[in-house]
Amino acid sequence: MRAELGGAARDVRASWRPRASWTAAAFALAAVGPLVLGDARTADIADGLYLACAAIGLAFAVGVAGLPSLAQGAFVGVGAVTAAHVLAAGWPTAAAALAGAVAGGLAGALVGLAFARLPPAGFAAATWIVSWLVAFALQSITWFLGGSQGLVVTGGPSAAQHYALALVLTGLAALAYLALARSPIGLQLAAAREREPAALALGVPVLRIRALAVAASGVAGGVAGALAVQLAGIGDPSQYGPFLSFRLFVVVLIGGALSPLGPPLGVLVLGVLSLLADLVGRLENVAASRAHTLLTAVMLLGVVSLGWEGIVRPSARRRRDGHAATRPAPQGSLTATGLAKSFETVAAVDDVTVAVAPGAITALVGPNGSGKTTVLRLLAGTVEPDAGRIESAPVARTLQATAIFPTLTPLEHLLVASSARRSRAGVLRSLFATPQTREEDARFTGEARQLLERFGIPRDVPAGELPVSDQRALMLACAYATGAPVLLVDEPSAGASAAEATRLGELLRTLRDEGLAVLVVEHNLGLVRRLADRVIVLDAGRVIADGPPDAVAADERVRIAYLGNQAL
Amino acid sequence: MAVALQILASGFAAGAVYGLVAVGHSLVFRLTGVVHFAFGELIALGVFVTLLVAAGSGPVSQTSVGGARFVLALVVGLVVTAAASAGAYFLAIEPYRARGSVIGWVGASLAVAFAIRTLLVVFFDRPAYVFPDPLHFGVWRIGDATVQQRSLFVAAVALALAAAGWLVLQRTRFGRALEAIAQDFDAARLVGLPVARLVGAAFALAGVWAGLAAILAAPSAAFDVDAAARLGLYGLLAAVVVWFDPRRALVAGIATGLLQATVTSAHIGSAQLGPAYRDVVPLALGLVLLAWRARSLTETVE
Repeated sequence: MRAELGGAARDVRASWRPRASWTAAAFALAAVGPLVLGDARTADIADGLYLACAAIGLAFAVGVAGLPSLAQGAFVGVGAVTAAHVLAAGWPTAAAALAGAVAGGLAGALVGLAFARLPPAGFAAATWIVSWLVAFALQSITWFLGGSQGLVVTGGPSAAQHYALALVLTGLAALAYLALARSPIGLQLAAAREREPAALALGVPVLRIRALAVAASGVAGGVAGALAVQLAGIGDPSQYGPFLSFRLFVVVLIGGALSPLGPPLGVLVLGVLSLLADLVGRLENVAASRAHTLLTAVMLLGVVSLGWEGIVRPSARRRRDGHAATRPAPQGSLTATGLAKSFETVAAVDDVTVAVAPGAITALVGPNGSGKTTVLRLLAGTVEPDAGRIESAPVARTLQATAIFPTLTPLEHLLVASSARRSRAGVLRSLFATPQTREEDARFTGEARQLLERFGIPRDVPAGELPVSDQRALMLACAYATGAPVLLVDEPSAGASAAEATRLGELLRTLRDEGLAVLVVEHNLGLVRRLADRVIVLDAGRVIADGPPDAVAADERVRIAYLGNQAL
Repeated sequence: MAVALQILASGFAAGAVYGLVAVGHSLVFRLTGVVHFAFGELIALGVFVTLLVAAGSGPVSQTSVGGARFVLALVVGLVVTAAASAGAYFLAIEPYRARGSVIGWVGASLAVAFAIRTLLVVFFDRPAYVFPDPLHFGVWRIGDATVQQRSLFVAAVALALAAAGWLVLQRTRFGRALEAIAQDFDAARLVGLPVARLVGAAFALAGVWAGLAAILAAPSAAFDVDAAARLGLYGLLAAVVVWFDPRRALVAGIATGLLQATVTSAHIGSAQLGPAYRDVVPLALGLVLLAWRARSLTETVE
């Protein structure tokens, strides 16, 4: 036990940065707030902190997962309704907060599962409609919050206690944001945000983790709503609707969605703004609440039209070093027999048999339109064959374009790719950083570092800034890091210079020597001849030659397929 | 039977207006890939400007406004809507669309929506407005049923507007240019179409179309900013359920109106949902349909 705590303390010390000191200082300063503030101000600030907690949840969905969620106000409302009823049944505050968190999380999971597969524009529209639905339901169905009268919530902690509770809750939400964003799930979400097809190709369960992200934002919103309704003393159904969703969205955009410190600062800015609005409103004799909304909207317009990305930018990520035990190379092969696939009436692939042996590079070549890419898709399982059988160990596939995730570092790329192999990287384990999780973290990080060194890729630069040659190598490293014994490599040298092609060839050779089964689709016949142990030639969807490179090169039919029926 | 007839008439009229808004949403989405969250508020702007020019901001009775002044008011209202709609596009949507920033245009269009809404609430601060009605409609009594003649008029005009819009899209160079932009924004720009101007014009036109329908429907009931926001919302619901296909969006809008009228008025014996559920039921049902639709959407994408 003591050793584990010591390890945790060492990890915290290793990742401590000036920003953490500032935050801790601000937190400590805030903690003495009620001593100097009046009761009314204390309650106001506690309310603002609950808003910040809900906003941190939203920031996770918006910033890390890239989901433009407009339903956060609805999740807050769900939490508030649940808490109001739990309290009315005579349960204590803690039970109400827990029930609010659960209800908010369930609502979030439901919304996530239902709509996370929509394109972002559709997700925004759907969550906006959810916000309206909850607002209408709260106002028209009196059972929820007493209709337009509101529902009185009595008892509960004092303003100062709420303040302390809100401060702790906001701090915990921020820590949870950090833990999840750094965890494999957070990295997978970031990868899916940056380039969904590439993330899918690496086996990232995009729909599931996105639903999880929305559920997490729902938990934060629900618990904030559950406690804020007690602070207010009344459940006012007109509070929870599209306008609250909008306000939370503004808070996140102003403060910055990529750091958990952004939302609290966004709330602060909005609070100062509303003080100004009160001032202007008194001068102009306009009801203050209206001036707030206008100022908020104008502020947001200003902020977004300047291309602002929030007050707080994410800090550079640093990761613990770990010592990797060398992983035994996975073993497995792929055999496909009699594959056929037609699109409309065109037979793209007809009776193709492919065997990819371990410890060998098999090249699939053929003129344009001969069906290479279709075969690759069939083998990768992204297209269902019309006929034929595939027996295979797990496969990893690289995409034809340089499909990297521009803002993730190469190290993070490999952690995304390897996350399917992890067994202790679930949400709860990541949140609480259990000893096994941290041990596993260190092991996988170490393994990724070793792999990057071996592939000659720098590790802590955003991948978008790497030279193309490194990006290609990185894609290959990602495929390797998935741990699949069979690699399907699509046109590694397309558009590459001679030097780049040579480097990729070297890398492929080392993978083969390690015992992997490699299938390469390649146009560069010179490279194929140097690299491949075996060549399969496709023409018009059929295999016309299959054998060692030299034999295939001498084959009359292959020459005709490439050059036509005339002598050179 | 009488109830059914009433539901049909009032639901169809309301639905036809939703349908036009839904067509506007679909057009905007197909052209730019953007969901226009400020659409309802822009319509509200048109309606209130019309009201301001027709009757000032004082109390209005339904009969206090003459024909000529109303026509002037209508024209001013529509011009303002068109200008605001196009302005919103250039100011708040195009910059982010071009950058591919979904979060940016969602935030910007919401900000436009709330800015317009607050301005309207500040200037028109009474809870609800009666809208002047230069055309006087009576009611028909068919058996026990009372059918507002206005509903049929609104439905007919909305359908005529939809048909006219369809003709513009199908038969004019403008329409073909928009189709080209919808197919491929960048390619349309490359072949020399003035893409920004055309899309701005389409935004303006969509605003005018929907605003006209809203102004015609406005005298049917007390009007406020929330009513217009609801128009935008139901239009969006109808459009997103059919994934922004303009022709189906019109039908979906009409279906939404009919469903809403049914929830409000229909009863089986004494069992009735009633007006309290007029918003909840259509929105919930729409969301269920959208979730169902989302499954098939991804299947076609892969």
